[in-house]
Amino acid sequence: MKRKTERVLAALMAATMLAGCGATSKTEKTEEIPAEAQETALSDSADESSDGPVEISYATFMVGSHASAEAETEVINAFNEQYEGKIKVVVEELPSDDAYVDKMKVLAASKSLPDVLIGKNGIRELAIENGQATDIKPYLDEDAEWMKYVGEGAASYNTTEDGKIYSISNQRQLIGYFYNKEMFDAVGITPAKTWDEFMENNKKLKDAGYTPLSLMTGENCWTTNLLLGAYVGTDGDEGNKFMNTFYPESYNTDSMVNGLEMIKTCLTDYSTPDAVGAIYANAANSFEQGQTAMIPNGPWMCPDFTDETKSLPGFGDKVGVALYPGDGLFTQYEVGYILCTEGKSDAEKAAALEFLKFKTGAYAQSVFLEKAGVLPLTENVALSDEYKAANPLLVDLIEQSANAKYTFGNFDNQAYSSVMDEFAVSYPELVYGEISAADMAQNLTDAIAKNK
Amino acid sequence: MTRNKKWIAIFLLPGVALFAYIFLASLLVLITTSFTDWTIAGKLSFIGIKNYVDLFTADKGYLTALKNTIVWIFLQSTIHVLFGTMVALILAKKHWYSNAMRTVFFIPNIISSAALGMLFLCILNPQFGLINNLIKKINGDFNVNWFMDPKTAFLSVTLTWLPYAGLVTILVISEMSSISDEIIEAAKVDGATPLQADLYIVLPLMRNIIGTSTVLAATSMLQKLDIIMMTTSGGPGVRTMNMPMYLYQTVFSNNNFGLANAQGVLLILLGVLSLVIIRKLYRMDDED
Repeated sequence: MKRKTERVLAALMAATMLAGCGATSKTEKTEEIPAEAQETALSDSADESSDGPVEISYATFMVGSHASAEAETEVINAFNEQYEGKIKVVVEELPSDDAYVDKMKVLAASKSLPDVLIGKNGIRELAIENGQATDIKPYLDEDAEWMKYVGEGAASYNTTEDGKIYSISNQRQLIGYFYNKEMFDAVGITPAKTWDEFMENNKKLKDAGYTPLSLMTGENCWTTNLLLGAYVGTDGDEGNKFMNTFYPESYNTDSMVNGLEMIKTCLTDYSTPDAVGAIYANAANSFEQGQTAMIPNGPWMCPDFTDETKSLPGFGDKVGVALYPGDGLFTQYEVGYILCTEGKSDAEKAAALEFLKFKTGAYAQSVFLEKAGVLPLTENVALSDEYKAANPLLVDLIEQSANAKYTFGNFDNQAYSSVMDEFAVSYPELVYGEISAADMAQNLTDAIAKNK
Repeated sequence: MTRNKKWIAIFLLPGVALFAYIFLASLLVLITTSFTDWTIAGKLSFIGIKNYVDLFTADKGYLTALKNTIVWIFLQSTIHVLFGTMVALILAKKHWYSNAMRTVFFIPNIISSAALGMLFLCILNPQFGLINNLIKKINGDFNVNWFMDPKTAFLSVTLTWLPYAGLVTILVISEMSSISDEIIEAAKVDGATPLQADLYIVLPLMRNIIGTSTVLAATSMLQKLDIIMMTTSGGPGVRTMNMPMYLYQTVFSNNNFGLANAQGVLLILLGVLSLVIIRKLYRMDDED
């Protein structure tokens, strides 16, 4: 009876999904194609088919006012131009990160993810689970030139326990914090070396009439969680290990509880009145308008400091960058692009792979560096002297990264979505004294169980 | 007659087919999958009523969301409709300001919920918001984070929709225009004051449209997602969580389709229950 019910349900689901989603994927199952056959598959397809170039689908959230929108458009246009008549990339634009993640999760449920996409926020894991994701490792092993620009670091970061690689990073992250040198000089302080000194600096800044920190607990609590992550990541080997763990099983650790206590103080005493509930734009605006002394964030923010539509005139000269107290630094690779071509034709597989190589190759990395301040995956994509002169903060951060004692990842990449949601709704309760730091750590742990 | 019936059937067929395809099939899938363990990329397996049991026994967040939704349905069905009807009674008197006021009062209803959410985020912002700065001018030091303070969050979210009863006002005014002037005149001749005429003649004649407005107001609370998402995301904790927001998180944050569909079924049941109660209260099926 149970089996029968399951079959009926499965049939109903299948019928609805097929009808509703209207996926056009071809079901022809093919074996992995070797590198030398890819070009042949592509050209054969283009020659034999009267339908024109092979079309592949690609979804992106780097559109509109996104910091990387200009670079994204340039790279896609360059690819379409170079492969004109052979491959055409059909781009689906999603207006925000959230809209992108939500849409991709729905598509994962109906096994109709685009051929190439960024697998962030658990999308890669869903694509692996639903059987759409392709193991990229064999292709990476066959193409030394591509591997040169992807690098061992990014490759091993994305290698699964069984030795497969399901995604290629699109960027390397180095995240410290920016500070207002003018305010620091006025108070007579320098970037803190310990967390006690950090809190003393906050007090001195506040006593001098400055608001020390740009924090926010709306959206993904980005700047606040960077500060929390830095505290935990520099709290001895245990804390550091925790901040280098993907999907930890519990947040009930001493480092987390102490870190949350510190964050509570920072949000209550050392941040803007709207920090609880504020979105990233509020926090960034406060710093760029000279209202706060520090903001934890990555180098992609640097172009904003010299953009007078966002920052005060001459603000770029007032900004310094520092490692976190305890010589900590967020250093990690992004999840990056996944290839969802399982079950597609040889021509589609080859075309999608070609696009993936292009998107993660030397040219694309250079464009993203120049146009969006995105750090390349390896030093093989060199920073030109001209670029270094125009971006002293980024160069400074790269130089300081050599002195980092602790390196770690951030919550955004390493926690379940349900945990990230919990951060946003628990911070206000923590700040207003409805729950303790230990309660919040427990709430985060409970949220893990909600994730499926 | 037989020929007419045939044509009626032919004309109805596309509508019925569309309804069956879009709504009935979806509803069937929703109900059946609510009895399954179904994650986004996982396999579907039948688990009986476990999802429903879990919602009521192992999920305090859902119970709060259910309670909040019921409270908001009640407030919207009473205060919101009452306010809209009162404004309609005032504006129907054809004062010099009636037409302008009618338009102004309806403006919040034509702004998208997301934009309205953003507007309230700015107005109630503790740093640069209009309200706090106004109070600061009068009272000096004042700092309330309206959407994030657990003491004010529920009220703040409620105020983003409760007073904006433009739709109720428009519906009631339209219905009032169908009342014959002779009836009102007759009441005046019999010595009724304007208030008595409104209370004992106009309002009883408005029963059906007020009932309809109440249904619209109540069911709108079963769809409220965007404003909550823009302002509080259901927090602090779960203080402003409602059923649609909880369902959304269950799908997109927790990847749990089976549990979300059980919530969907309960949401529909709550809608049907609200509809039945309102129709009974307003005796909407009865002939006058």
